[in-house]
Amino acid sequence: MLKMFGAVLIVLAGTLAGLQRARQYADRPRQIRSLIAALQRLETEIKYGFTPLPDALRKIGAQARGPVQQMFVTAADEMSPPNNRSAKEAIEQAMEIHGSNTALKAPEKEIIRQLSCTLGTSDRSNQTTHITLALQQLNQEELAARDDQGKYEKMSKSLGLLLGVLIVILIF
Amino acid sequence: MTNEWLLLFPEKVRALLQRLPLPLLTVVEEIRIREGRPLEINYSGKYHFLTEKGALTLSPEEAYKPDREDSHRLLDLISNHSLYTMEEELRKGFITIPGGHRIGLAGRTVLSSGGVEHLRDITGFNVRIARAVPGAADEILPYLLDRNRKRVLHTLILSPPQHGKTTLLRDLARQISSGKRGSRDSNRPGLKVGIVDERSEIAGSRRGIPTFDVGPRTDILDGCPKAEGMMMMIRSLSPDVLVADEIGRPEDAEALTEALHAGISVLATAHGKEVSDLIRRPGLGGLLEHKMFERYVILHRSEAGSSFQVLDNQNRRLAISPGEKMGGDAYA
Repeated sequence: MLKMFGAVLIVLAGTLAGLQRARQYADRPRQIRSLIAALQRLETEIKYGFTPLPDALRKIGAQARGPVQQMFVTAADEMSPPNNRSAKEAIEQAMEIHGSNTALKAPEKEIIRQLSCTLGTSDRSNQTTHITLALQQLNQEELAARDDQGKYEKMSKSLGLLLGVLIVILIF
Repeated sequence: MTNEWLLLFPEKVRALLQRLPLPLLTVVEEIRIREGRPLEINYSGKYHFLTEKGALTLSPEEAYKPDREDSHRLLDLISNHSLYTMEEELRKGFITIPGGHRIGLAGRTVLSSGGVEHLRDITGFNVRIARAVPGAADEILPYLLDRNRKRVLHTLILSPPQHGKTTLLRDLARQISSGKRGSRDSNRPGLKVGIVDERSEIAGSRRGIPTFDVGPRTDILDGCPKAEGMMMMIRSLSPDVLVADEIGRPEDAEALTEALHAGISVLATAHGKEVSDLIRRPGLGGLLEHKMFERYVILHRSEAGSSFQVLDNQNRRLAISPGEKMGGDAYA
């Protein structure tokens, strides 16, 4: 009886781990999408609104959802007094704090990091160019992420269950 | 007096400035940061460099030299991380930050069809600390009033840069607007004052609200070009007294003429040492020749302190500050 209970637990754990992994695959494209939407808004704020960077980031943060939103708000807070960090430092700091809560992976983080180096340091047309470039790269990443999702989401789910079953069989 | 302007400097420079003795900190007028060259402060007509330990020195070798990081951080902070919102300011060569402090910029200009399009590689900063000096106009204001007709005379304030024109103008606006003359509590009614604050220096507006006391009956057009702003004021805000800083271009003179003929008193400032200097300047010459201004106030400042003299439009001297009488000055 106790053995049965243990076996069920192992299978359950395997399944949950698989589901968790599958969710990561499902979340990543969605979060990249919201990042893209946020950057597009940032572009508008810069190009037409002349909004200062901290205000713009805060505005975008208010409109976005989930962990991406917190990232922008934290970056804005880091830039404002009394922290007064530069845009680059502030965004890096924000990514460090919230990075693990998101499903974002190294490539898109690198894109944001590169963008943060130029953010706010040049005139509007230059800013727009950099944001457009980042948007293009993010779009590519989104495609890749969707690909991964199609390939691995279902597989992760079944793999988790199967792995649990395998361990149970091996133990008995 | 708070020194909130210290917050605009990057940590390293701020730490140096904070080590200055407090009395000095409250009289500092300019802080000059030039990348790779000594950090300089100017106060009451004198200058000093700052050493790495925050002490004053006159030798450039001992002085602290701000590096690239310092100037980048400073630019980042004064532009609120958003240089793209400052395109117009960069074209003019200065940024005014909340609090009315003006930061002049030096760097490499980018030209477009012959005009300055942009400023890049900004490595020189001149931070001018703005301070309100309530009472600065106490001695001068009585000469600028027409007691019979209860109006303010058209006045031009003259001096070289850094002699207190804007400070005087700010206090004149405050006293005229509130009706309080000097320290005495007179029961005179205040007048409606309109300030065209092209460089945001007179009122130091932050989100449209003045940070300096410029009086209860004062309207401010913040960041507005003077010529256009004066016309807007006349048309829509019906001021009794119009205040504008640093006039000099022909279109400013045109707008001033308009105001002078519209029955509005004008208080303006211009760069110059003598009235005769101005007659030669293309923009203002006409105004002076037609004796549009009824009073000229000439400010002068040396290490000994500041002084002033008031002239009428016949170039007759009406008043001289005590300092001027004693000091052997260049005015003969």
